[in-house]
Amino acid sequence: MEIKVKERVNWPITILLILGLITVAFPLYLTVVIAFKQPSEMTNSISGILSLPRNWSLANFAEAMRVTDFWNSLFNSVLITAVTVIVSILIHSMIGYAIGRNKANSKFYNFTYLFIVSGMFVPFAILMMPLVKQTAQMGIANIVGVILCYIVFYMPMNVLLYSGYLTNIPIALEEAARVDGASTWKTYWSIIFPIMKPMHATVAVLTALGTWNDVMTPLVIMSGSGVNTLPLAQMTFQTQFGTNYNLAFASYLLALLPILIFYIVCQKQILNGVVNGAVK
Amino acid sequence: MDNKKIASERKRTFLLMTVPILLLFICFNTVPLIKGVIYSFTNFKGYGTYDWVGFRNYIDLFQDGRVGKSYLFTFKLALLTTIVVNIISLLLALGLNSKIKFKSTLRGLYFIPNILGALVVGYIFNYFFTYILPAVIQMLGGNGTSMLASTRWAWVAIMIVCAWQSIAMNTIIYISGLQTVPEDVYEAGSIDGAYGWIQFKSLTFPLILPFFSINMVLCMKNFLMVFDQIMALTKGGPAQTTESISFLIYNNGMSGGQFGFQSANAVVFFIMIVVISVAQMTITGKKEEQL
Amino acid sequence: MMTSMIFTACGARESEDGKIEIELVQYKPEAVEVFQQLEEEFNSTHDDIRLKIDSPNDAMTILKTRFIREDYPDIIGIGGDINYSYFIDAEILSDVSDYEGLNQIKPAYLEILEGLEFVPTEGTYGIPYVANAAGILYNRDMFEEHGWEIPETWDEFIKLCDDIEKEGIQPLYFGFKDTWTCLAPWNALAVELADADVCKQVNRGETTFTQEYDGVAEKMLELLDYGQDGPFAYGYNDACTAFANGESAMYTIGSYAVPQIKSVNPDMNIDSFVMPAGDTKEDNTLNSGVDLQFCVTKDCKNKEAAYEVIDFLLEHDSVQAYLDNQNAVPCKDEEFKLASEVDGMAEYITEGKMSDYQDHYYPSEMAVDAQIQTFLIEKDVDAFLAKFDKDWLRYNRDIIRMVEEYEAGQGKN
Repeated sequence: MEIKVKERVNWPITILLILGLITVAFPLYLTVVIAFKQPSEMTNSISGILSLPRNWSLANFAEAMRVTDFWNSLFNSVLITAVTVIVSILIHSMIGYAIGRNKANSKFYNFTYLFIVSGMFVPFAILMMPLVKQTAQMGIANIVGVILCYIVFYMPMNVLLYSGYLTNIPIALEEAARVDGASTWKTYWSIIFPIMKPMHATVAVLTALGTWNDVMTPLVIMSGSGVNTLPLAQMTFQTQFGTNYNLAFASYLLALLPILIFYIVCQKQILNGVVNGAVK
Repeated sequence: MDNKKIASERKRTFLLMTVPILLLFICFNTVPLIKGVIYSFTNFKGYGTYDWVGFRNYIDLFQDGRVGKSYLFTFKLALLTTIVVNIISLLLALGLNSKIKFKSTLRGLYFIPNILGALVVGYIFNYFFTYILPAVIQMLGGNGTSMLASTRWAWVAIMIVCAWQSIAMNTIIYISGLQTVPEDVYEAGSIDGAYGWIQFKSLTFPLILPFFSINMVLCMKNFLMVFDQIMALTKGGPAQTTESISFLIYNNGMSGGQFGFQSANAVVFFIMIVVISVAQMTITGKKEEQL
Repeated sequence: MMTSMIFTACGARESEDGKIEIELVQYKPEAVEVFQQLEEEFNSTHDDIRLKIDSPNDAMTILKTRFIREDYPDIIGIGGDINYSYFIDAEILSDVSDYEGLNQIKPAYLEILEGLEFVPTEGTYGIPYVANAAGILYNRDMFEEHGWEIPETWDEFIKLCDDIEKEGIQPLYFGFKDTWTCLAPWNALAVELADADVCKQVNRGETTFTQEYDGVAEKMLELLDYGQDGPFAYGYNDACTAFANGESAMYTIGSYAVPQIKSVNPDMNIDSFVMPAGDTKEDNTLNSGVDLQFCVTKDCKNKEAAYEVIDFLLEHDSVQAYLDNQNAVPCKDEEFKLASEVDGMAEYITEGKMSDYQDHYYPSEMAVDAQIQTFLIEKDVDAFLAKFDKDWLRYNRDIIRMVEEYEAGQGKN
């Protein structure tokens, strides 16, 4: 009886939802067909733009890679994202732990907690101009500066997540370890840090998506230094594309592909991470 | 004695864990924030020498038509996009949570827009609005020019792009909200004759209210800081009608020589964000208590 | 880690092989190729100096961001516009009046630069390299085919536009989505209809823009009727492409657009004429200003080396290479082969009937280009000029005060 209820598929809604996917797919379809075409194939009619390319040549991609210095930009994006995520997990979980364990009975930790979390309200717009000056004066108007900025920008959210998650972890676990003579430092890394694994995944996904797609921070901190991230390169080379939209779209597609592939591989973890982060 | 030793060791370790990271936070968040406030009292261009001008920047700010327009635009965009996004994603979530085929595949596909970079998506839509949409309208016999060139419609184009990306996120959150609603609530409701709209209004919606408030806060916050889409679609045009606050601060502060003035703008923007966030949290907090 | 980063950032002036490194950032991305070529040539002929030339996109924003970071290139190649005035005022540029090459530069251009200083200074801060001219580019083949004459007065110009329209051809094409292109016809009209120093007159409180720019604004609106539908939908690139493909007979833009147009249609036969804004031919003046000049920053560690670079750039062959590539007008007082695209403007250049772009005096944060775009959409002359006057006073407040103080000081002496 119950099995039957589950099997009754609501087809009208399924079909509606599949049709709705056109809105998601169309811009991507557009990107792909334009990226593969030659300028001569782009007539003014819609069918000329939307038809499939006559031959699937990779020439636009090779040229786009050359113009935007694709591999370097990709490398920088990967480097920035990876370092930010790893350092964030290490240090945000650590301070989240210290705060989570002490904020109930210590004014200092409670204040620190509120102080950091209230950083969520600070829009980048107000930090932008002073940060440009400050990173330059410190000699880190480069990838290092960008990474440090990200680590700090994501700190409020991540500290909130970690210290919230910590309330689920019974303190008895640590006490048991302490009886065995382990230091707090060791207890943390050997017991608490591994237990927080689900939260690490959430933090990693949220931080990575944010840093990977961000344009504004690298734009203000390291523009003009010749070092680009993947999205920033699209902006930097906008004029060099001119009206060769095919070249531009090939470059856009290249910029979108890494994260798309990543999403296809880790779809489940990403969706879970996003939901966890938002709901907590 | 031993306990005391352990307690002090614990205390020391916690401090070591906290203080360096706290200092890092202060260095890259608090210090620039304070500096921003200081700059807002100068006529600094960003380079060269500068003078203290007291509250002149703030006085100018409230008389500046361009700044005023950018606030109106940003709030209009944020509010309307938030409403549109929440309506669509709630519907989508209800659909994706009902008994459909290919459930997880569909959910996965609908989430794609959210992972893509806003700037590149903006560039793609820019082409769509400039070349494809006008051609379609012309084919249907209308008079088609680009939405992005129209002072009346450009903001709608920006709204569409913002919505296209963020509907995905909000839908996922609503779905996880809907999943918290136990099946027997519906069953109990159906005995009372609650179906369709009535079921949604009186049963489902109150139960997912927390998720609704999360979405409202997330949306408002993101759209108030909209930047990438503006940069890719209109660069503030046509006729300065789509300059968001962040765009204006970046554009005039960095390249326009208004470092000091735009710092004042940023301070006001900051205060507004805080006020709105606090208001939003108290309102939704109260609502949840009532239910 | 942090300290090592700081050291590398400060010590980057000399490259590993002991050569002096000179960094030049120039603001014309369309000239990237010729500068790459010049850079290679310089480096292959000079053993002691390594020249690095950067031609970034959106260079002004990048330069200003770098100035905010206090990270100054040795030489900057910028236009003679208000940014130059700001940089002098901010004491970023160093005095180059001791540079010997200055006496080879046409004095008219040095005067233009002098005119850009907010208050007169002792020194010279820029070495003018090339000038450009704005007016109307036209499709020469199309004009010959239809037997159209070059207009010399505003009425003739309007009649020409009507004639072109009668033949079923679009007279003009605009790329007003990029707001700065609104300034090209604006400047060309303004140099003929308003005094050259109108901005300084306003700063001294002698007149208002409502009085001076009325005719300019009216004529801008008239031009709009002859453009394509939806001029605000397309940008500079789109307009260049459309003109290159023969979609319009004329294009109100500067000579700097020619390379972009030719990149789309290399065989196109383009010529230009001066915007005929007045009632007689004698009223017409060419809108010409310093398009590119080289300034040495105060931060430059090795001024000798910087001068050597500029010496090289001013050599006959270097200048000619630039002119061939960019269809520009040289500021150096020497015989050069000029591009055929500026034929129609040549007589004005030789006669010196030129005045500087008016927008070189507009403060960038006032965003006059966007204000003109707004005006062209809303078509309200009075409201536009009233706002222009009001905004002008606000954005120039510090400059006006500086001028007043200077003049008060002069009065006492």
